[in-house]
Amino acid sequence: MSLTIAIVVGLLMGIVFGLALEKSRVFEPGMIVGQMQLRNFIMLKVFLTAVATGAVVLAVLNGFGVVKLQPKAAFYAADLVGGLILGAGIALAGACPGTTLAQIGTGYRDAWFTLAGALCGAVAFSYAQPSLASFLSAGDGKLIFTDLFGIPFWTGALAWAAVIVLVLLVLERQRPWRDEMGRNVDGDFGPPEEKAARTASMAPAE
Amino acid sequence: MFSLTDKAWSPYAAGIVIGLLQIPAFLIIETALGTSSSYVTIGGAIVSWIDPALAKIDYVARHISDAPKNWWQVALVVGIAMGAFLSARLSKAVRSPISPIWTRALGSSSAGRRYAVAFAAGFLMLFGARVADGCTSGHGLSGMAQLAVGSAVAVAAMFTGGIVVALSLLRRI
Repeated sequence: MSLTIAIVVGLLMGIVFGLALEKSRVFEPGMIVGQMQLRNFIMLKVFLTAVATGAVVLAVLNGFGVVKLQPKAAFYAADLVGGLILGAGIALAGACPGTTLAQIGTGYRDAWFTLAGALCGAVAFSYAQPSLASFLSAGDGKLIFTDLFGIPFWTGALAWAAVIVLVLLVLERQRPWRDEMGRNVDGDFGPPEEKAARTASMAPAE
Repeated sequence: MFSLTDKAWSPYAAGIVIGLLQIPAFLIIETALGTSSSYVTIGGAIVSWIDPALAKIDYVARHISDAPKNWWQVALVVGIAMGAFLSARLSKAVRSPISPIWTRALGSSSAGRRYAVAFAAGFLMLFGARVADGCTSGHGLSGMAQLAVGSAVAVAAMFTGGIVVALSLLRRI
């Protein structure tokens, strides 16, 4: 495949990705910080739906032998430490590496600083990578759960998707997504005292 | 039903659209959806220009080579900004330059303070993502869809780190 085709495909896929991130509102700092403070579950809803969809897609494509899986290697220490640092960054940025770009597209000025910091972080890691190499690559290599259980990938992937659908059904019943949008569909519900005042004014007079 | 001029779609509809992007990723590019490697490609390409020694590090050389996968991902993240811009335009969304939640979360309305926190957060985010070899997209969306054991560890750690920091360092939004 030529570089030009790869870039055109990337741009088109990115536009669809960015559109879906914006329409779902998951790129909003209010949604991401709200998720990490366990007040808002839009991020989890979008994330799990995309995972379940991906699992079904790959169950079919891989099940019929059309594509090979591309799992990342299981390097436990690196996954654990890196994941913790990444999570801390996501909470303070109110963004992840992909949604930072969506925030820039919609005009959030602070996202440019997130981007600059992120590029510096990537370069700093690059300089450190040779000395971290042995820590980074300790583990089992490419390992997927269905191989651990000795079942075909497609069976496990469909079962996983079914579990996610059940979880989402329960979650949606507990917290309908329309109630999680906020004042300006940005996950912002105003200051706590305002929320408390609103609740109090709705309470029946004694 | 779903219109491009809507302010918001159901998270389930949007999630399905994102999940379906694995089809062109696997079929055309022969890779899984991801975003954080592109930061190494861009950052590495820029800094190698000033410091050619960086490009000699194998890890960087692999990311800045003209392999289609590298520049596909750079195009993908540029496309994300374009798609979000278009979507916001079509729905006539009006945003303040900084989300109103930050005044409460940081306990300050200073833009400078928010910019400093955003820069530091971006640094942690990408440093962590590169240590883990993936982010919310690569380990999250793609790794979890492929039932990858390492990705499950990375995603659990990511949410743990995020929840602990959001509850301890940030004020309630």
